[in-house]
Amino acid sequence: MTSHVARTSLVADVKPVRRRGSGWHAYLFVGPSLFGVIAFLLLPMLIVLVLSLFDWELLSSPEFVGLDNYRRLAGDGQAWHSLGVTVAYVLLCIPLQTVLALALAMLLNQRIKGVRFYRSLFVVPWMATPIVLALIWSWIFDPREGAINSALALVGVTGPDWLSDPTWALPAVALVSIWQYTGYNMLFFLAGLQGIPKELHDAAETDGASPAQRFWRVTLPLLNPTMFFVSVTNLIGAFQVFDTVFAMTDGGPSHTTEVLNFRIYQTAFKEFDFGYAATLSTLLFLIIFLVTMAQVRFFGKRTTYDLS
Amino acid sequence: MAKRILLYAVLAVGAFVSVFPYLLVVLTAFKTQGQLSETAPWLPGLPPTVDNLAKMLAGDFPRYLLNTAVMTALLTAGQLVFTTFAAYAFARLRFRGRDALFWLFVATMMVPSAVTMIPLFLIMRQLDLVNTWYGLLAPYVLGTPYGIFLMRQFFKTLPAGLEEAARIDGAGPLTILVRVMLPLCRPALGTLAIITVISSWNSFLWPLIITSGDDTKVITVAIATLKQGIGVDYNLMMAGSLIALVPMVAIFVFFQKHIVRSVVLTGLK
Repeated sequence: MTSHVARTSLVADVKPVRRRGSGWHAYLFVGPSLFGVIAFLLLPMLIVLVLSLFDWELLSSPEFVGLDNYRRLAGDGQAWHSLGVTVAYVLLCIPLQTVLALALAMLLNQRIKGVRFYRSLFVVPWMATPIVLALIWSWIFDPREGAINSALALVGVTGPDWLSDPTWALPAVALVSIWQYTGYNMLFFLAGLQGIPKELHDAAETDGASPAQRFWRVTLPLLNPTMFFVSVTNLIGAFQVFDTVFAMTDGGPSHTTEVLNFRIYQTAFKEFDFGYAATLSTLLFLIIFLVTMAQVRFFGKRTTYDLS
Repeated sequence: MAKRILLYAVLAVGAFVSVFPYLLVVLTAFKTQGQLSETAPWLPGLPPTVDNLAKMLAGDFPRYLLNTAVMTALLTAGQLVFTTFAAYAFARLRFRGRDALFWLFVATMMVPSAVTMIPLFLIMRQLDLVNTWYGLLAPYVLGTPYGIFLMRQFFKTLPAGLEEAARIDGAGPLTILVRVMLPLCRPALGTLAIITVISSWNSFLWPLIITSGDDTKVITVAIATLKQGIGVDYNLMMAGSLIALVPMVAIFVFFQKHIVRSVVLTGLK
């Protein structure tokens, strides 16, 4: 991404007519945002790292404990359970969400009457406050009055007590996330599909490629940058899920929906165990970082994703 | 023909699923407690009542709504101003350390917000800004890496000749940005504004952590607290949700084209 060629072209497209003057202004222009990034993103990152080496319960004074928190983490079944829940949640959401979004985008990339109307309707779930949606959905999942079980009752099926049932609570939460983000991701795929030159498909068709072949050999490879963006942002988002869990299940029943991010919140702001919460945060960050890097490598082999 | 019918059937079902929860919000907000237990959730309560909405609007809710609106307006204004300056510099000006700084911004996009919540809270506590407007706004008002990335991409698409002409006329970078570039940026600025409005209006975790008093409480937190009381009053909760939803849906309807374009812009070059 930072190849020599890219660097040169980056610099070459700016004509330095007033070199000194523009340099001075540039720092002024970048200054406030740079201050924001340093003060509210980089500094907190460093604090988390440092804090994870301390035992601190807010009211007491911090006590340096070295790697004790990390040793505690190694034997903390609850934390690993939370990580397992997070991974299960990600695996429930992401594949289905991505496939649905792509399928929907291909549907809505055709000539259809009222296509704009449908595109907007599918994006509407993204618009609303996650916390509000979570509350609405917890009502839809209500075992007695809720819409889902009422509908199931019409066909003679007794639905489970979704959010209080250890088996169904996590899938129910995942379903809400799929519902909310499928349409939003559909927009990205739609943008990607519209960026594919029509001639390529025509040429493939002339060469006798079947629709399936055209999808796997033309569409999908050319959607690679979109796929990269969608999977990276979605995975980062899914690993960080909080609002939905907070509002729908509060981590329950019996911790079955207690994702790591929720565990961090509990540890810090309910148990006031800030040092250990920082250790858990470091764990979450490391995992997200590794997963993102893995995606960069996976997609990097297939595409030239140029951030500049 | 059968294929066509299937296509429309799929779309209709999908659209219904997308909108159904919103439909329930509207129906429930206009039902009395009695109607809620008597009628099926997806049937309207007759006659509809505006009592729930009236009750919500008579309490502290308008105040929270106002807080949310103020927060959204300030964050959006801050984002538009600071992000534009930074993005312009990154895209069109030449200065030492430019590329390194830009990569720093891009890298911070990867940092999960949950990771920074605790230290942010501690910083605000140290500065005595917990439960204040400053604490609520500070982390986001100076622009976001995401916004800078978006705007930079846009600035880079504008022709360089525009600036040269202005420079020859003796204009400095500030004049060029305000007089020449900004008028050309209106679609991109609109996009950035919509994204910021929606994400600010919906923000929950940071307001939940940093605020506790009525002076700074926002609607997302207020609605969440409604659920924690004894016995959930669905009618009131749905009325509150409806009030919170209406402005966003209105914005969406008005700016639908921009939202789609925003995705194409950030989409991914």
